[in-house]
Amino acid sequence: MAGSDWGALMVAAQAGNGRVYHRLLTEVGDWLRRYYTRRLPPAMVADAVQDTLLAVHEKRHTYDPSRPFEPWLAAIARYKWIDRLRAMKSTPTEALTEDIAVTDHGDAVASAWSLERLLRELKPAQSDVIRLVKLQGLSIEEAAARTGQSISLVKVNIHRGLGRLASMVQRQPDAE
Amino acid sequence: MLNEQLLERLVTDLKPVRRRTWRRDALVFALLCVIELALFAGLGSARPDICAAMALPSFWWKLGSLGAIAVVGAAVAIVSLDPVESPRRGLHWLVGIVAICLAIGWLIDASGGGLQGLVARVDWPDGLECVGSMVLLSVPPVVGLGLLMRRGAPTDSGGTALAVGIAAAAWGAFVFVFACPYDDPLYVAVWYAVGCGLVTGFARLVLPWLTRW
Repeated sequence: MAGSDWGALMVAAQAGNGRVYHRLLTEVGDWLRRYYTRRLPPAMVADAVQDTLLAVHEKRHTYDPSRPFEPWLAAIARYKWIDRLRAMKSTPTEALTEDIAVTDHGDAVASAWSLERLLRELKPAQSDVIRLVKLQGLSIEEAAARTGQSISLVKVNIHRGLGRLASMVQRQPDAE
Repeated sequence: MLNEQLLERLVTDLKPVRRRTWRRDALVFALLCVIELALFAGLGSARPDICAAMALPSFWWKLGSLGAIAVVGAAVAIVSLDPVESPRRGLHWLVGIVAICLAIGWLIDASGGGLQGLVARVDWPDGLECVGSMVLLSVPPVVGLGLLMRRGAPTDSGGTALAVGIAAAAWGAFVFVFACPYDDPLYVAVWYAVGCGLVTGFARLVLPWLTRW
């Protein structure tokens, strides 16, 4: 997981060493980008990384040097992942246009694989509309027309499905 | 690519931090509880017949049960402020302790003369007054543990908030035991459960929202 001794770097950061802290955050940021690439749609990865770096900064006093750094970081990353899944319920999804730029196809594939694994645990009516609206960028109306569900049912299924997804992630141990 | 601006902002003027430890948090909370109890006793709020009440098993049942729930609840809440720790196992323990406390209360009740006049024993006007006092006495521990929760990094906010609510409610009720003139286990089971339930429900609903990080 870690390229260098992140625990020692964090101890120095807790003592106020800015140069070491910059190095730690850079390395942690790279790790977080890989972590979220496997768990979130590509468009959400950068925000999730920044959000988690801010959380690491705000909660750095909770790191105990007598314990390994990696589980501490992974717990915060997972908490923010669950937060993102919950936030998807209230975030309006913009429809994708044909000319949208695709820079890293590998990331998208990895993310889709991981999300697909989670979505398979949901009821088909829920996973179908989450795929269409939250991952493929269709409007609620388009998803309703494609699945045969009413517009209000699509909204309910997205809301409940994402809630269940967040609960599932919270209950299950993270494989990272 | 990482946002270099963000990194610069976080690193610039980096201040040393004092590490959070569960021992310090527990000490802060214990101090708050002792202060509340001392103020409560100092204001002359204890029941006048407390010496006679101490001869009754139901008095010690109330005090022992609420004290155990408050201590275990606070321990679960404080331990779960570490992002790596989950409060779930501790909450299962708490449910078990509450069940044992109620079972002991039932045994005391059953040995004391049957189930006659249940409605009269519940005495709802006084019961509501007791609930109000318990809720009021739970405010300092809810605020204290809530502030510790905000400073900590709980990753299961719902579970931690539940533990905070149970601990604070039990502590409020523990302090109230010294003033409450009722020793009837049925009365205690009903109204203490209502008071503790209100505080716990409030903490579970509000704290995750207030301590979000």
